[in-house]
Amino acid sequence: MRIPAVIGFLGIFLLGAGGALSAQKPFFRAHSFPEEYRHVRVNKMLQASSNYIWLGTSDGLFRFDGQAAIPVAIPQRESPAVVTALFEDQRKQLWVGLESGEIFILDRSGILRPWDPEEGHPAAAITAFGEDLEGQLWIATYGEGLYCWKKNRLYNFSVEDGMGGNEIYDMGVDASGQVWCGTDRGLSRVRWDGDKKSIQPFGLLDGLPDEIVRVILADRQCGIWVGMHDGGLCRINPVTNQVDFSIPDWDQGVVSALACFHQREIWIGTESNGLFRFDIQAKVLEPLALNTSGRSANKIYALQRDSEGGIWVAGNTLGFFSANRQFEFVLNSPGDIQAVMAGPDDEVWVGAQNGLYLIPPFQDTFLAVFPNRTLNVISLFQDPFHNLWIGTFGEGVYIYRHLDGKLRHIAEGGQLQNGSILSMDGAGQKIWLATLGGVMEFTLHGDPLEGGTISSRSYDQESGLGTNYIYRVMVDSKGRTWFCTDGKGLSVLDGETITTYSQADTIPLKAVYSIAEDKMGQIWFSTPDQGLFKFDGKTFSTVSLKQGIRNLSIGGIATTADGQLLMVHSSGIDLLNPQTGHLIYFDQEVGIPDAEPNLNTLAADAKGNIWIGLPNRLVRYTALGRHLRIHPETRLEQVSVLLKPVDWWARNVFKYNENFLVFDYVGIWLTDPETVTYRYRLEGLDHDWIYVNDRRATYSAVPPGRYTFRVSSTENNAYLDEPVISYSFRILPPLWMRPWFLLLAGGVFTALFVGLMKNRDNRIKRIEKLKQETIQSQYEALKSQINPHFLFNSFNTLVAFIEENPKLAVKYVEKLSDFYRVILAYREKERISLEEELQLVADFAYLLKQRFGENFSLTINVETNSVYVVPLALQMLVENAVKHNVVSRTKPLHVRIERVENDYLLIANNLQPKLTAEPSTGFGLSGIVNRYALLTDRPVVVGQNDGEFQVRLPLLK
Amino acid sequence: MMGIHFFRLQIAILFLAFLPGFLPGQQVYLTNNGTIRFKSDAPLELIQAASQELRGAISPNERTFAFTVPMSSFQGFNSPLQREHFNENYMESAKYPDATFIGRIIEDIDLRQPGTYTIRAKGMLTVHGITQERIIKSLVRVENGKCTVTSSFTVLLADHAITIPKVVHQKIAEEIEVEVEGVLNLQSK
Repeated sequence: MRIPAVIGFLGIFLLGAGGALSAQKPFFRAHSFPEEYRHVRVNKMLQASSNYIWLGTSDGLFRFDGQAAIPVAIPQRESPAVVTALFEDQRKQLWVGLESGEIFILDRSGILRPWDPEEGHPAAAITAFGEDLEGQLWIATYGEGLYCWKKNRLYNFSVEDGMGGNEIYDMGVDASGQVWCGTDRGLSRVRWDGDKKSIQPFGLLDGLPDEIVRVILADRQCGIWVGMHDGGLCRINPVTNQVDFSIPDWDQGVVSALACFHQREIWIGTESNGLFRFDIQAKVLEPLALNTSGRSANKIYALQRDSEGGIWVAGNTLGFFSANRQFEFVLNSPGDIQAVMAGPDDEVWVGAQNGLYLIPPFQDTFLAVFPNRTLNVISLFQDPFHNLWIGTFGEGVYIYRHLDGKLRHIAEGGQLQNGSILSMDGAGQKIWLATLGGVMEFTLHGDPLEGGTISSRSYDQESGLGTNYIYRVMVDSKGRTWFCTDGKGLSVLDGETITTYSQADTIPLKAVYSIAEDKMGQIWFSTPDQGLFKFDGKTFSTVSLKQGIRNLSIGGIATTADGQLLMVHSSGIDLLNPQTGHLIYFDQEVGIPDAEPNLNTLAADAKGNIWIGLPNRLVRYTALGRHLRIHPETRLEQVSVLLKPVDWWARNVFKYNENFLVFDYVGIWLTDPETVTYRYRLEGLDHDWIYVNDRRATYSAVPPGRYTFRVSSTENNAYLDEPVISYSFRILPPLWMRPWFLLLAGGVFTALFVGLMKNRDNRIKRIEKLKQETIQSQYEALKSQINPHFLFNSFNTLVAFIEENPKLAVKYVEKLSDFYRVILAYREKERISLEEELQLVADFAYLLKQRFGENFSLTINVETNSVYVVPLALQMLVENAVKHNVVSRTKPLHVRIERVENDYLLIANNLQPKLTAEPSTGFGLSGIVNRYALLTDRPVVVGQNDGEFQVRLPLLK
Repeated sequence: MMGIHFFRLQIAILFLAFLPGFLPGQQVYLTNNGTIRFKSDAPLELIQAASQELRGAISPNERTFAFTVPMSSFQGFNSPLQREHFNENYMESAKYPDATFIGRIIEDIDLRQPGTYTIRAKGMLTVHGITQERIIKSLVRVENGKCTVTSSFTVLLADHAITIPKVVHQKIAEEIEVEVEGVLNLQSK
């Protein structure tokens, strides 16, 4: 490895420090497992696209959302599941490999399902997963070699196929889809050549420093990094397949984990010497102590970079750690830091109340530059000759060369109107010094430490500045010089003209503390209590509490390498994207508690890092790039209906009584989980967003309808462009509220009603008809009985009896009288008992008998048990028989009445019609039929059979 | 019909001679009457056939194995004509008389010790003259000097260049289910 030239004259510090450098430290936050899992060991960590950190441990799988590590049950197990591999494929499925060889896939509901190919799962520990360009899954095992899942078939690559070993420690897939496997006998490069296995060894002969390959990091950005058992770390160029870099003289033992930050640095976990990182450009290796309650992790199991610029570490201490790589610290500042300046060679100069300090590159100590002098340093600047200008409070300015210690002092008086230098800036040969007595413009004529002269010019109240008190001077990219004044706003010197802005639009400007120019040439400046202003050359705009700034008293601002505006205030550090206005907060979670910065104690270095001086520490901000996540990842974790979780991605229609819904969501913001707040609304019910801090929304008695639940989360209380997660669903109306049901029910009801009405009408009509028929029949019966013919016949019979047999005559008259009385008695009735009717018929038959003698006979063979007939029906039928048939000695008439078929009454007579028909109304028989039809469904049957005329009357109950 | 599978192996001893580690004097599990069944479950027809002539050998020392079955030994089918088609049209049994599966057991287990093991056999499956690498999961029970092997797996017709006329596509499954069962006895070579 070549010694980087940048170290230059500072090499002396490196030499002095030997091999064990110790530089700016990230701030490690400790995280723990639930109490019952306190002692689990983390084998693998993975940040999935969901932003969760997944932890594969000696006792199962855990999901960490920034606040709590939640165990995820692994099914079908009696003994603890030792998770040894984690992977997220391109379809965003999480694969979990166990020490037992079992493999699980996490389904969308967060449940692990066994992966069970026909070939069976491996019986050796799964050490790694990978996916090639065709989407084929590769599975490395410790003991059975490599597997590939290709077209739904599992293939095995073992020593017999040419693998370096069946014990694969780690595996990585490079950008060309080639699979690199680390074994005890070097690397094996595996791929499919059509349907043929292709395995090529890569070992000592190819330049690999050590044959035992423990870790492989195949990163699209960083290349292929290989961590070895003894050989440390090397990088392989995947195009040339050559080792193009390795760390010489590695003596830190087994490399057990790797992580990479862009092309910038590699983090290295070792098995016995803890954590290191390696600066790829500077080629410097530095240890990073990982302490928890006094115990230091010397064995690192897993490293994982996250999407927010953080790094996650697990070792042989309880729990696991995270650090935000963007912020690093040099602690234990010897005094209140008042000025910071980053030199061109990665060294940093710090001015404090009690002197000047130097932090050499990759070191974390403040070296006193003038140990024997007390200097109150309040500003620092480096001139084009690489001389350091040291501005003091009251003692003027010192010009200093560190290489040989040469010093030149310019005290108050003469060229310097005032000895207190608050700020310095310059361009070319010109240096501006802001003092408590106006601004000095120095022009250098040659190196001031090599006899060069300095000419000066002063700008003060008289020359157009609003005041002599200037907090900060800045030369912008257009060559203009800006002055931040105390109480008189902002002034700018453009050529020979000074312009003073004492108002930003309508807001009066008083003191201006700090100023910076963004990458688009816009000027930003901060004030003690009015927040931040932007000036684009024509108009001012303000960024204040409303826009999300946490603290209006901004002590300093600077532009970062990726164009963001970094501001320091007593609440911490805010990063503002000047284009979108999006803010990210950083404070104690990244190691910046109670910032309380002095004015303008921040400076950018040659790489664009910002160095920030705080009272007790120096902070370095590294811009890792715009690709970092800026919002919490909002996720709907669960939807419960009636307190039971539902498969909400598959189901979005609920019944009317499934109207108690609970939505569990989370906004995963690993940088500072505590700051995440939420807003949600149920469209269709809520009229506005509901702002909350907790991760659950509950809705009860939601009426039927269509709804969309929307939720988003923010880490900075501003909802500008935060993504919104939504879930649409429907609650159906109950059956009886659905339109089709209502229509149907209405139809049925109407039909029923109409039917009932019709029925009632019919009944009324029938009753009326019956009444009519009854009256008619009574009329007919009476009419026929008082028919002169009947009377005439009866009286003739009577006359005969009176002379021959007066007793019989009396009886005859009595029967006749009975007969008429009964007719009168029954005529009103709808029905009478069969018994009564038969009595009537008997009376009637007596009368006929007296008249026809033996020529007429009536036989009645009937049981009369509580059955009914229409009144006078039988009498009328008997009368009809006599009326229409011949009754004579030679042709006697027989009428018989019998009960047939149990519920019919048969009235039959032998048919011997008279030759001359009696005049008839035709009402008799048809009247009987009609009356029966009104009383029963059973018909009256009239017919001739075997020479008989037969009428069957239904018996009524 | 179809695809069938596998193995029948003839002459296991012949294979043994070629397998590494099958040295004289070592003990070997052998059978010559194992059962192999296949099933083609197509939408229009279910075809089943079986052979009792599966021959096999497993070397517990080397964890290697070889199985073979003569294609013409399959009986069953839904008609004699179907069997004829199987042998003449699809499997070309005259040209490729045997199906074989030869390889090594992945798990490092001692098959001389009584017990029941789930093992995965990694080897070359040759059917219809086409060889495919396969891993076949099997259940092995060892007791009293006997080794009972049962396994089931699928064979894709396409993997072994067994082509089916379009007309009978609905009657022959693309994927043939195969079941194997054999009792192998420990013998010294």
